[in-house]
Amino acid sequence: MAPSWRLRPRLPGGGPLATTGLVLVAGCSAMLLFAQQYAGSVIILACTFAIVTAGMAVQIGFSQQIAFSQSVFMGLGAYGVALLNTHLNMPSLLAAPIVVAGSGLVALVLGSVVTRVSGLALAVATIMLPLIAVGYLSSASYLGGSVGMPLTGSLWQASTPGATLVGNGLITVAALGLVVFIATRILASDIGLELYVLGVDERTAAAMGVSTPRRKLELFVLGSAFAALGGAVYAGTQLFVPATLVNPTAELSLLMMLFVGGRRSILGAIAGALAIQYLSGASNWVSVNILVVEGVLITVVLLVDPEGLAGIAASLAARLRRARAAQPGGPDTAAPAPAAGQVAAAEPAAAAAGSAVGRAPVFGRDWAVRARAGGNPDIARLECAAIGKAYGGLNVLDGIDLALPARGVHGLCGPNGAGKSTLLGVIGGGVRPSAGRVLLDGTEVTRLPAQRRFHLGVSRTFQAVRLIPGRTVLDNVAVACLSSHRSGIASAVARNRLAEARDRAMAALDYLDMSRLSGQEVSALTLENQRMVEFARAVAAKPRLLLLDEPASGLSESQREHLKDVLRTVGEMTCVLLVEHDLGLIAQISETIFVLASGRLVFTGGPEEFRNSAVVNSLLVGL
Amino acid sequence: MIGALGVDNLVRVRNWPLPAAITATLAVTALFAYLYDQVVLRLAQDGRRRQEGLVITFFFTFALSFFIDGVAKILFGTDVHAAPALWNGNSLNIAGALHIERAGILVLGCAVLSGAMFALYIRYTLSGKAMEACGENYLGARIVGIDTRRYRRIIFVATAILAGIFGIVESPITGFTFISGATISVTGFLAAAYGGFQKPGRALVAGLVIGIAEVLLGGYVSAEYSDTLLYAILAALVLARPSALGFESAVGG
Repeated sequence: MAPSWRLRPRLPGGGPLATTGLVLVAGCSAMLLFAQQYAGSVIILACTFAIVTAGMAVQIGFSQQIAFSQSVFMGLGAYGVALLNTHLNMPSLLAAPIVVAGSGLVALVLGSVVTRVSGLALAVATIMLPLIAVGYLSSASYLGGSVGMPLTGSLWQASTPGATLVGNGLITVAALGLVVFIATRILASDIGLELYVLGVDERTAAAMGVSTPRRKLELFVLGSAFAALGGAVYAGTQLFVPATLVNPTAELSLLMMLFVGGRRSILGAIAGALAIQYLSGASNWVSVNILVVEGVLITVVLLVDPEGLAGIAASLAARLRRARAAQPGGPDTAAPAPAAGQVAAAEPAAAAAGSAVGRAPVFGRDWAVRARAGGNPDIARLECAAIGKAYGGLNVLDGIDLALPARGVHGLCGPNGAGKSTLLGVIGGGVRPSAGRVLLDGTEVTRLPAQRRFHLGVSRTFQAVRLIPGRTVLDNVAVACLSSHRSGIASAVARNRLAEARDRAMAALDYLDMSRLSGQEVSALTLENQRMVEFARAVAAKPRLLLLDEPASGLSESQREHLKDVLRTVGEMTCVLLVEHDLGLIAQISETIFVLASGRLVFTGGPEEFRNSAVVNSLLVGL
Repeated sequence: MIGALGVDNLVRVRNWPLPAAITATLAVTALFAYLYDQVVLRLAQDGRRRQEGLVITFFFTFALSFFIDGVAKILFGTDVHAAPALWNGNSLNIAGALHIERAGILVLGCAVLSGAMFALYIRYTLSGKAMEACGENYLGARIVGIDTRRYRRIIFVATAILAGIFGIVESPITGFTFISGATISVTGFLAAAYGGFQKPGRALVAGLVIGIAEVLLGGYVSAEYSDTLLYAILAALVLARPSALGFESAVGG
């Protein structure tokens, strides 16, 4: 195990069922006990906002898709229910699902436009939505203008006011429970792992086969639908939709709740909503000066832990566990229990140890079969025809032609800036060429995005290691073994195939004799091991074409020897294109060697010619 | 916002002379920015648990803005206030038809002056270069011996004072309440985003263009929906050309 101080504390929360159960039991008992008191109304309001923030934890916290459109969809849900209720006399409880479904459709249309961009552009594009909505609302008289809109009936209409309150409270808690269940199921699943990678680095996600545009759209729809549900519940319980529900300040308040609670944790997001609503509803000096209190609160919480209250709770729990484990004769808690949000690898790792002996050869055999399948020996595995890439007026690649057979290690070298990594990008799909064609097994893939090429069997490593910090080695490798790429995000609620992916990842680690690392968090590893984990991730997909960008840089002499052995074995099964500065290594293991200089191919040949070539010597060795 | 409300409060309620009120308000603003930097930002960025990422930094500033709004509410109440006009008189007539408020000229003058000064500072002085380096690459700047903490302090206090000054010159036109800060922050952030965060000159131009577009839309298209239209156009711009506007673009991986 890595030293525990390097490991990030795991976020609280049991399995999806346990978390949902906790929310339902706590919520229902609170409703039954307090619904008719003032505290009850505060809790209902807090639960309403928690429905929204739980969706934000998935979309904004976990997957890092910062969208500022939550208050708009909350408003859409609230005004929608209010309209149906007052104009069509529809019961609020019936109106709510209709409105949520409608908002989902709106989110689908809007999302297919805004999720084309990422990062800051997404944030800026979506912050326009509340700004636009404010302008529209202030002049839309049928919605009550800048005041708001009353409703005629609440979600639950009982004969006594007390029963109505309790009914409304229970419905709110049920809605929250539903949202929590969906959210925690998604996060704990294989698609949750995809989302996590997407949040850390979109390009790596695409290179590992994640359909990034689709996932981003799904996240937007999910977050928006949850927000609309929160809005619908708000309208149905408060019986009035204030116009201030939709504006940039409301948006900020929602984000504050999320960040105070813990942006990556569903329970944290709920805790944040409860805390802020409790403080604002407390009717003493706190609620009068709520802005000051909120400002100080979020500053202090974020200073202590960027993961918010959930992170603080997790650190405390970890400290408690350590203290207990340190006591002589105390319960043996050396292995921390796996948690839902950040799933631990302890269990599968332990289970895998037993069958390690049998699995490695199976992995190798499967790979060899996959690498050969459908291959026609007359057709090159990879063919690049007249590839050109220009950035502005600068020709980085110019008329590159190369063809690789179905097996063997093939070297690509050249001075710095020759265009090696760009060529790898063009083959892998991360870089779109300005000219030429890329063919994989005779099929043109020039216009296919990286994730589609991954599915066709192209797998790669990066010059600068791109692993997913905060996750174990096993999970990092499992990213390449997911079978969820073509399934919708909703399927994760019903089915979780993360364990299968981890099994496959474990087999790959066994194959490379790396299973001892599987439980470690990747940022605690040495550079060599990080490179090897990235290599394992590329291998785990059993690629038909393996692209390696300087796998030996930063490795010691003995480590290079080990890598050489591994590459020889791999080369017997599949086609490897190896970019490397170590000319000795290239010459020893490559069948053919390509030398790039200033974007042109200046040498192609076997290792013997490579050693004796005047061009190579003058260019790379300096003779 | 603090600038406007602070000066107004001191002049109107406490009967301070105007220059003294302006000086005092700006001094308090600067002191507050200095303290915030020393305590919160220092802990956040240099402390035991370094906070990384733009998002977390944004949240510290959001929190700060909530805090200031709250304090302003306590100190100044919820009414609309404005600092007294600095340059009194009727609106000036230019070419007979165009009427321009004197206060408006003052705002424009301040904007151009401060923008130009900052651009010159970045371009022609060594410390300006150092500051730019801090923004480009924090670690790199530290390695070559730039005291990044000092520059962060300077820029934080300087922007606070600058914002205070603009509050004072702007408020006679629009009037400020305790929550005006948030709206201005959003608009300022947008201008900075559209200009590209590391290019103050472009940010200034972007700010001016956004402002002018807003007025023109209000005048020629629809007064009621001028904001709505403006924001829709801005959103369309981001979506159409994210990279041209200086946003990192990661479309399609």
